[in-house]
Amino acid sequence: MSIAGAQSAVVAEDVSKVFFSGRDPVWALENFSLTLEPGSFTCIVGPSGCGKSTFLRILGGLEERTVGTVTIPDEGQRIPAAFVFQEHGVFPWMTVLDNIAFGLRMSGVGRAERTRIARDWIERVRLGDFADAYPHQLSGGMRQRVAIARAFATGSPLLLMDEPLGALDAQTRMLMQEELTALWEAERKTVLMVTHDIDEALILSDRVIVMSGRPGTLREDITVPFARPRSFDIERTPEFTELRSRIWHLLREDALTAEENA
Amino acid sequence: MSTTGSSLQDDREQRTLVAARAQRAKERSLATRDLVLSISTPILLLLLWEVTARVEIIDPRFFPPPTQIVTAAYEMILDGELWEHTAPTLMRLFVGGGLGALAGIVVGLLMGSSRALNAALGPLFSALYPLPKIAIFPILLMIFGPTEVPKVIAVFITTFFIMQINTVSGVWAIDRKLLEAGAAYGARGFDRFRFVVLPGAMPFVFSGLKTATGTAVVVVTAVEFTGATTTGLGYLIWNSWQLFIPEKLYVGLVVIGIIGATVTTLLSRSEKLLLPWRRER
Repeated sequence: MSIAGAQSAVVAEDVSKVFFSGRDPVWALENFSLTLEPGSFTCIVGPSGCGKSTFLRILGGLEERTVGTVTIPDEGQRIPAAFVFQEHGVFPWMTVLDNIAFGLRMSGVGRAERTRIARDWIERVRLGDFADAYPHQLSGGMRQRVAIARAFATGSPLLLMDEPLGALDAQTRMLMQEELTALWEAERKTVLMVTHDIDEALILSDRVIVMSGRPGTLREDITVPFARPRSFDIERTPEFTELRSRIWHLLREDALTAEENA
Repeated sequence: MSTTGSSLQDDREQRTLVAARAQRAKERSLATRDLVLSISTPILLLLLWEVTARVEIIDPRFFPPPTQIVTAAYEMILDGELWEHTAPTLMRLFVGGGLGALAGIVVGLLMGSSRALNAALGPLFSALYPLPKIAIFPILLMIFGPTEVPKVIAVFITTFFIMQINTVSGVWAIDRKLLEAGAAYGARGFDRFRFVVLPGAMPFVFSGLKTATGTAVVVVTAVEFTGATTTGLGYLIWNSWQLFIPEKLYVGLVVIGIIGATVTTLLSRSEKLLLPWRRER
């Protein structure tokens, strides 16, 4: 399973998404192509409204593309891609254990087996004492750990994350970035994550895709050179500062336009 | 030097703790006071009623003193008259209301899940909903005659519409993120219904059940007022008025109030039990 999964990657070619706002067509995404290497961690950054979330949702099968092709090798499976939502994505009516085991349950894994896997993941995201708690009893950071554990626990080779840390406060967010880095370095799944935080993209990923404002197109594809395993120390290096300002320059004008049109 | 310093500090700590205890004691005594007030007020009002009715400050023909009402209730229990009226009302309420709620929830869930079904039935039900159910009671009487059926159907229709509308709203109120999470993790068809739609709609279902209980009690009483029956608490109230036996009228009123309050309380309790994820809110 994990060996076959390691060969998985994503190929998206000339994906466009057009919807109608009244009588006017709105181009959310225009001829966007992207290939993900198996076991890579890629972040998409872009101004708000550039269609980065739309692209992620198209990959995850939550939205239909207007034209273009998307190939996910494991598409035949019940959960070809495990999704992590920004917030409110865990079921309030299920305990932490049931939430984490949910994907496994839907793919037909037996009770004993899915409980074993879910318990293992509960420990790995340090929620051991909360297996039987309901989400409303947890803090925002703990709820996101549940959401992340649920995605990893499915065993799906592809994880799609839509600003998974976006709703957390700054300190919790930094702690979660460390945790997510450690989890990913141990698992090496293919991850595509949308974020609006440049630092977060540089800390977590091997590759940063910078998108232009609406309609979303690929502006630049940047390789992040920092070695693994990573720590927050990279933030103090000159390369980090340089990459950050480079990405910011690419984004600045579009962010300004997006802000004015909002 | 150091000993005096630490004793000063101890002193301050002591004073803070004393102040904190005083605050807590004050809060507790307020809570006790609230409890005493909430229990004693109704008792005092009843006492006031009793005394003013006995010395005829208020007219005891319209407001018989509570002790007389209790005596009347006791006599009615002994000779079986009270049960004779309570049982039919309970039957109409539970058969009509139970079936109506069940049908309303099922139809509401189907309409909430199927766009086509909602398009077909939604406008029709919305148009029928505000129709006063009691106004169609004569039609039911015409069709079914003076049997139990029209009374049960009147309660059924009342609860059905309330539950159908609440359940549809409940399905629509489910956070879109949760429906997407269900889809993203492979919940399709019946799984989607069982793990996402049904639990998601439950809070609205329960608030609908509580509303429906209140309305069903009103409708069953009104139906029993109409003279289409000679049993039921509504008939007891109406007949006691016609014969001018105010004690019995009040007994009927109290019993029907107790039924409504009991069902509502049971629903609240079972909601806490069945939806543990909504506790502590």
